[in-house]
Amino acid sequence: MKRMLISAVGALALSATMAVAEYPEKEIQGIIQWGAGGSTDTVMRSVTPHAEKALGGTVVMQNMTGAVGAIALNHVAGSAADGYTLLMGAENPMLYKVMGLGDKDYNEFIPINILARGTPMLVANNDAPFNTYGEMIAHIKANPGTVRFGSTGPGGLPSVVNAMIGAVEGELDVISVPYDGDGPALTGLQGGAIDVMPAVLGAAIEGIRAGNMKALTVFDTAENKHLPGIEAVTAANAGYNTYLPWGPFFGVFTPKGTPDDVVAKLGAAYAEGAKNQEFIDLMEGRGFTLMGISGDEASAFLSKWQQGTAWLLHDAGLSKASPADFGIARPGE
Amino acid sequence: MTALMDFLTVFTQPQLLLLVGLGTLAGVYVGAIPGLSVTMAVSILISFTFSWDVYPAIALMIGIYMGGVYGGSRTAILLNIPGAPSAIATALDGYPMAKRGEAGTAIGVTTVMSFIGGFIGIGVLALAAPLVSDFALRFQPRDYMLLAILGILLVGSLSQGSLLKGIFAGALGIAIGAVGRDPLTFAERFTFDFQLLEGGISFIAVMIGMFGVSEALLQLHHVDKDAVRQKIKRIVPSLATVKKHLPLSLQTSSIGVVIGALPGTGGDIAALMAYDHAKRVTKNPEREFGDGAMEGLVAPETANNSAVGGAFIPMMTLGIPGDAVTAIMIGALFIHGLNPGPMLMIDQPDMFWFIVGCLVMANFFMLFFGLTGIRLFTKIVEMPRSVLIPLIMLLSIVGAYAVNNSITDVYWMLGFGIFGYFMRHYGYPLGPVILGVILSRLLDDNWRRAIITEREDLGRFFESIVTSPLSLILFLGVILIFVSQTPLWTWAKARVFGRKENAK
Repeated sequence: MKRMLISAVGALALSATMAVAEYPEKEIQGIIQWGAGGSTDTVMRSVTPHAEKALGGTVVMQNMTGAVGAIALNHVAGSAADGYTLLMGAENPMLYKVMGLGDKDYNEFIPINILARGTPMLVANNDAPFNTYGEMIAHIKANPGTVRFGSTGPGGLPSVVNAMIGAVEGELDVISVPYDGDGPALTGLQGGAIDVMPAVLGAAIEGIRAGNMKALTVFDTAENKHLPGIEAVTAANAGYNTYLPWGPFFGVFTPKGTPDDVVAKLGAAYAEGAKNQEFIDLMEGRGFTLMGISGDEASAFLSKWQQGTAWLLHDAGLSKASPADFGIARPGE
Repeated sequence: MTALMDFLTVFTQPQLLLLVGLGTLAGVYVGAIPGLSVTMAVSILISFTFSWDVYPAIALMIGIYMGGVYGGSRTAILLNIPGAPSAIATALDGYPMAKRGEAGTAIGVTTVMSFIGGFIGIGVLALAAPLVSDFALRFQPRDYMLLAILGILLVGSLSQGSLLKGIFAGALGIAIGAVGRDPLTFAERFTFDFQLLEGGISFIAVMIGMFGVSEALLQLHHVDKDAVRQKIKRIVPSLATVKKHLPLSLQTSSIGVVIGALPGTGGDIAALMAYDHAKRVTKNPEREFGDGAMEGLVAPETANNSAVGGAFIPMMTLGIPGDAVTAIMIGALFIHGLNPGPMLMIDQPDMFWFIVGCLVMANFFMLFFGLTGIRLFTKIVEMPRSVLIPLIMLLSIVGAYAVNNSITDVYWMLGFGIFGYFMRHYGYPLGPVILGVILSRLLDDNWRRAIITEREDLGRFFESIVTSPLSLILFLGVILIFVSQTPLWTWAKARVFGRKENAK
């Protein structure tokens, strides 16, 4: 009996070490937080096949939508921390706590790779009576309560950009029309349902190139090479330097507690995948800034992003709870 | 000339031809299984075809799309379980036909009409895409709202028997559609603090439960009776039949193209609106609607297949998806290094004509695969009920699970199945529930957008309806249809046409 037990334990130990040595020994599940065809989906589906090659395994990607991504996040956070369930997400979980959308965020995860960051910008309907950021602000101040801004719900990119504008220019009297995503909002913009939309550059660039909408400004500290001649918002008002650069990001995460060597393998695989020229071309073509950070650097980036954005929204009166309640320090404190 | 060459690409390369065919075949079967949706199949294909060239990848996806939209009608006719939301209206008259042993005829008509509808959609895409997309862009939130109200008035034609029960069912559907975190403000609605309810109730789970499980439970009453023998003499409908329904199919196809081209509405709404239209314009159907009227098959099937061509219109001209499947295709084009958007037609016109070519090819394949193998399919309904009922249950469970890989959806599905059984038992129609769920978001979101845009002022809201020609037409349509369903209409008709009636 005793010998049997020993050999059983031995076999178990052996198989455990083998499992680690041979990771991945089965299919890996990649849970995409957003729907098929969206930005997160596209980024993940284009980088993962290259990462698979480096990893020597298969990552089966699956979209799990609902509750602004919280369902996917909770699902992965609740699965075994063995590197066989990955979360492929965007920036918004870092706002779940202050927005009252959930009690978990990326702090429950180890970042495998934060792949890229998008640049926000303001686009306007072609018939809008302003062509630059300065003209827009002047027009809104002269005609309070007439300009229609598109938004995508609390915590979305437009709400953060609006909070920034409010913090820098003072409260603006505009009508905020809610949409369920920047795609439908940009469609509404072209049809004249809204006048201005804060959107990520990649989503708007083709429409601007075709002349179906016009670019007002780029929310960055410098001009963007995809939009020559469109001034950065910091040139119009230096007050934005406090908040920029800021942007939504995409990353691959694994639950905390995943064995270090598995994290290392996944990290190496995604770092390799992100170096693929096709992926780089694709990302740059869509106006994304490649980041490719992981480990402590990624964790530092995440907490800085969370501090800045959470407090910005809180100060604008858009949050449900104070960031301080969750131990999120005010930037610079 | 180059356009013609691009159009012919798919016809001249055997490999592409094969992929379109393969895709269509797979699509017909994927579409026929409730819960296995075209959207799902296409999104899996994105990863699967990642390393391929863009042409073969698109060819396969288009095949699946075309086949899948058609395939949904199969189970709707044979088992009263729509394989996809766009086949809900097909079940209303298709299943009664199968119950009478005319499943073969029903599938034949459905196939030919889907083919005709498909072609009309493709034709409009090829010839008038920029025009239609300009028109679609003109729809403001208030117009979408009016469209949703028009849709909700369909409760009248979907309720067989008591209108009051129909209205109750429709309201229930709208309430089910509102459960979960509101997508615009993220406020929780009807969630009762359950995390489970935050994501809302899966519409597909409701549909499979209400139609599939409730049907299986109902069949249990007749478990000893023999199954209906199916007569399969004539599958391909006669030319006279096609000719007779051609005017109607042209009208319903136009509805399909426009509804398909509108971003935010797709084949499901198109098919239901077309069904309602058919019921309105058909003066003397050979059989009553809901009892196996041929027109009740023609209308939804032409509309949902013409909506395919329609959905490509905003995608190709503006880079805006017309429905969920075209949204994924935009992602696929992007992954393959193209820039889907309004410049695609200018930068890469070959892609446009290639897609049109694939659609034409897929439509032919659909006709072929649709008209073959019917004998095998009809065998399903001839199975003894003791085999058929467990099979329906199995399909329902697999389907409900597959939508989100979530066991919760299976419980929802079973719950709604039992609920649906009792609803039927007490004479409540199920169609309006599904209609309510489909239209809930469209109505709710756009009403809020419209009224927020007008600074929450009802006066300004009505002013904007009256001053916009499009809104005014939709608004008058709503009023006309509403009044025509009340006693006031009969009274007014009697007053206006009173003399004629007397002269009789």
